[in-house]
Amino acid sequence: MSPDAKNALPATNEDTCGPYFPIYFREPALEDLTRVDAGVVGQASGTPIVLRGRVLDRHGDLAHGAILELWQANAKGVYRTPAHGDDADIDPWFDGFGRLRTASGAYEFRTIMPGAAAGRAPNITVTIFSDGISRIVTQLFFEGQGANATDPVLLAVGDDAPRLIARHDGRTANGAEVYLFDIVMAGDGETPFFDDLES
Amino acid sequence: MSTEGRILGIGPTDNTSDQRTPRERLRLIPAAARESFVPVVPARFRASPHEWDMTRTAPDRPRAQGVPIEVTGTVRTQSGAPVRHALLEVWSANHFGRYRHIEDQSGLELDDNHLGMGRVFTDADGAYRFWAISPGAYLARPDIGRWRPKHIHLSVSGGASRLITQMYFPDEPNNAADPMAILMGDAFSRNVGKPRDVGGADVEEAYDFDIVVGGRNATFFE
Ligand SMILES: [Fe+2]
Repeated sequence: MSPDAKNALPATNEDTCGPYFPIYFREPALEDLTRVDAGVVGQASGTPIVLRGRVLDRHGDLAHGAILELWQANAKGVYRTPAHGDDADIDPWFDGFGRLRTASGAYEFRTIMPGAAAGRAPNITVTIFSDGISRIVTQLFFEGQGANATDPVLLAVGDDAPRLIARHDGRTANGAEVYLFDIVMAGDGETPFFDDLES
Repeated sequence: MSTEGRILGIGPTDNTSDQRTPRERLRLIPAAARESFVPVVPARFRASPHEWDMTRTAPDRPRAQGVPIEVTGTVRTQSGAPVRHALLEVWSANHFGRYRHIEDQSGLELDDNHLGMGRVFTDADGAYRFWAISPGAYLARPDIGRWRPKHIHLSVSGGASRLITQMYFPDEPNNAADPMAILMGDAFSRNVGKPRDVGGADVEEAYDFDIVVGGRNATFFE
């Protein structure tokens, strides 16, 4: 049954997480997606990258206290979802899910370069929670990927596509290429956000 | 399904909402990309066995100040399916309206017997339970005398179900002027806990708060 059905239960309203999401709930293993847990033998396949950036408000100030969640395919372009549970290309050492709370508004994840799913350019879905807003969602891409030119999400945002493309920094961090992606929550240069309730 | 994305509302009198709410209409997700926008949270959660009881910091410690309450409910998707073995992260202010968070600079009283953070899981039927101290309201905008009404923060992570929300309390004088409550309009009542009999529980008040995770994501793989 789809939530569009007439007898769908009324949804609880989303609400802001406020400024005090507990740092106590932090899980370091979700900030380095290439590792499963400290001390456990097992490493995600693929090319490690560092994704680094800032979350900015309407005045260009850092949005302190924001929570970021990442969702991405593994190096072979396969997502770890119930639809792909038996897929031979699932990487047992890669969940593809990350989370952190940034105290300052600057963030850094370590992960792997996602593979491209059919018809798509490599991308990472980013969910943002913060004080003053409920959940917002976007999807980022990577500079230099040929498939960006035909990706349906980038095509859909038209002239705003550059705002969804992480820049290749040229620097490395612990052997990983660094990509830079700032999220502008509101105002000039606003990041395009997507509506997963109405589409 | 509509042909336009939403324009998000800005919470009245909420400066942070003004600074952080996207102004542009949300974009529609192209059908070919829709599944890629359904994060599935891995079931690798941890919690200590005593975290469900937030009226104490540890089983061998005394009760925190204020009114101990029990909150119970279920987590379901809009189709009615239980969200099984989901993580609920719960956080709330103490009796005086203070969070035990390093960034809470309100100066309100701390209580050495109150942590105000805990994690519980839903069971195979999607049901959950925790105890907490009924949180104090706090003055959010001293300049205009606007309070944040009593509320408990809840974050649900279970498979494709992801929701951050708050449980409010019935008949609180500050509910009506709360920026987020104003944005919810009539639907605010869904976010209010329903008082019920305490039964045999060692608490002074009890509430039912059934959570329904909305949107297509939650039911995407059903
Ligand atoms: Fe709060």
